[in-house]
Amino acid sequence: LMMFLSNRSKEAVLEALASTVNRDPTAYKYQFQDDPYLAPRTSAEFKLFSLSQESGRSAAKYFINSNPKFFTKDFAEPHIPCLMPEKVSLLLEEVSEEALKERISLRKVKAAVDMYDQLLQAGTGVSMETTHDLLDLICLYSDREPVQEGGPETEDVSAEEANRSKGRIRRASDFLKTIWRENNNAERIFNLLPERDTHCYSALIRGMIRHGAYVKAFDMYTDMLNNRMTADVRIFNALISGAPEVREKYNERWDLIAELLNQMNQQKVQPNLLTFNSVLKALRRCGSLARTQALHTLSEMKALGIAPSLASFDHTLAAFYKAGKHSDITLHTDLLQEVMSELAGSSFTCQDPDDGKLWSVCLDNKDIELAYRVQSLVEAGENWRLLGDSHQQTIYYGRFFSLLCMMEHIDVVLKWYRKLIPSLYYPNVQGMRDLLQALDTDSRLDLLPTIWKDIQLLGHANKSELIEELLALMARETHSPEVQESFAVCALDVKSVFNGDRGTLSLEWSTSALCHITSLLLRAKRTQEAWEMLQLFKAKNRVPSEELMNEFLLECHAAGAPDRAVELVQLSAAFCLPATPRLAQQTLKDFDLTDEQR
Amino acid sequence: MAASFNSTRSLVLLRAIAQSGTLCSSSGSRALHVTAVCCKNRAARIRVGKGDRPITYEQALHPHHIGHRKGWLSQHTSNLQGEGGAAERTVEDVFIRRFVFGTFHSCLANEIVIKRRGNVLTVCALMLQKLPPHKFYFLIGYSESLLSHLYKCPVKLEIQTLQDKVVYKYL
Repeated sequence: LMMFLSNRSKEAVLEALASTVNRDPTAYKYQFQDDPYLAPRTSAEFKLFSLSQESGRSAAKYFINSNPKFFTKDFAEPHIPCLMPEKVSLLLEEVSEEALKERISLRKVKAAVDMYDQLLQAGTGVSMETTHDLLDLICLYSDREPVQEGGPETEDVSAEEANRSKGRIRRASDFLKTIWRENNNAERIFNLLPERDTHCYSALIRGMIRHGAYVKAFDMYTDMLNNRMTADVRIFNALISGAPEVREKYNERWDLIAELLNQMNQQKVQPNLLTFNSVLKALRRCGSLARTQALHTLSEMKALGIAPSLASFDHTLAAFYKAGKHSDITLHTDLLQEVMSELAGSSFTCQDPDDGKLWSVCLDNKDIELAYRVQSLVEAGENWRLLGDSHQQTIYYGRFFSLLCMMEHIDVVLKWYRKLIPSLYYPNVQGMRDLLQALDTDSRLDLLPTIWKDIQLLGHANKSELIEELLALMARETHSPEVQESFAVCALDVKSVFNGDRGTLSLEWSTSALCHITSLLLRAKRTQEAWEMLQLFKAKNRVPSEELMNEFLLECHAAGAPDRAVELVQLSAAFCLPATPRLAQQTLKDFDLTDEQR
Repeated sequence: MAASFNSTRSLVLLRAIAQSGTLCSSSGSRALHVTAVCCKNRAARIRVGKGDRPITYEQALHPHHIGHRKGWLSQHTSNLQGEGGAAERTVEDVFIRRFVFGTFHSCLANEIVIKRRGNVLTVCALMLQKLPPHKFYFLIGYSESLLSHLYKCPVKLEIQTLQDKVVYKYL
């Protein structure tokens, strides 16, 4: 037994125990405290609480980093680097290479460039490694400081973008991208270098591609070839991803990429996963060429033994499926099925920044079996980490849930409802409406009061279209007495929401809402409250409907209250309803009225 | 010993000083001063008063009830046979109690329970619902991060909230 145990890792026991525990669907996310007062009920609260916790942590970090002398005593064995204070201010002031390295590690771009210039002027040489690091730093941040100032920068950015975008849909992220300015420090330092090697070229080319100076990047690459240097794999990755920007036609783009790949082969540079992913990503912009070439690329990857990551599949699917094109939907779902069977059961780690976008795309069709397979893949192992931030997660779970509501029987829907909400997903108004539709389809309208409670918890009780739909569903038919009673309680609840009794913003009363609530109250034989509702009609200037008046009359007849009936007729006359004469006649017929009441 | 005095104890001591004062001469020689013993336990006890002071269960039970009717407020293994570091743990505990008391100002409903399991330091606190939840979370994030960096170990806060303090009896 001892030998058996010693072959395992130190955390084997903990890992074995952890595998027996599943996610608790009744608990909120683990970062929150397990207390009813401190638990987030709506998605707004979720964001607020997680942001406030995060800001508390950054406040502590600020205090720790500005007073490091209290936190330097290190008695942790082994040393824990993340619990030590970080250096945020510069220590070395003299002109030396150490000071330059310090500025680079603290990511102070301008200070590093100044120090480098001072070193050059003083005549001391700077080592190649430090120069590489300096160039990497400048190119990463495009000669600007890491913390964005915003403001005046954005005007020239937008002008550049207007020249280059040419009909591409401009997203907000485009305006925030930094641009590569002419003759900035990176190019200047590069030109001053006595000898330039691959790493320097690589830093510059990657920086140019990252910040949008695509043509310059290709020029620099030709420069490099002219100087008879071989490029490395990262240069090629960057150039391939920048290829769609420098050519207009689809086949020209593909030719450029093919030529780059040929040159890569000639220079004996091995492609890696990111190479293939950039090819696939560039193929998305190549129109119809993309389909055949994408499949070829995938088979190349297999031939070289590089396992495709999630991003590869995402790009391939995007090449085949344009949202809204219905003619190719059969092809798309077949491909998706194949992808799913490839991926089934395996556990992924994040290898590409675009890995997290695959999940929502998978659910963008109407296949419930496929959705189940995707969900089981998400639940397998550690794959839930790849779902992305809370916004991506809401998109994914939102699509999954609406697909379920559309396709599945209500019991299955409710089972998933209890599993997903609220531990993983806070449904929005559309999600709740889908749920109401599903309840309606399977005629489980008796569950409506519980759903109303959930709607209130989720903070959607002030959304008028949701309330209207709920009331309409409740008031549509008559049900058994217990159900009717629960509906009446619910209707009174809704009424208090409208009146703003809870301190929330009060909604505007609408005719249909008033009618529905009144008829629900009537059916549950709560006559007094129903009469109060009629007064509300007058107060809010809304006209009651004809069926409502008929119902009231029937009810008065059943209760044997002739004066009420007369009141009713008077009310309807006040509203100038067309049904007034008929009501009057019916009242005369059905009731024994005194002369006065006539 | 001379740090905290209440009225009855000082009376006893004054009497003792008076007694010993008559014995020693005024020539300035040194002698051993002895006082009478105050045969009472005073630790962690709230004495019976008028009957209008609300007391929690923790405060109502005296220290000799620990292990019988009370639990421990600080749980670590340094007091076991052959284990070291008890003094350091106690000093850390005192600091953490004062820190949490000051950070969550007037929100604490009862004493804090500190548990050490492996490397993790878990601070369990009962709070009153005096602050809105997002302020609680700010303070929780802040204290967790600060204490982790101070003690170089993961510190977790587990908070439960109450409407108001739970009164056990009135003394």
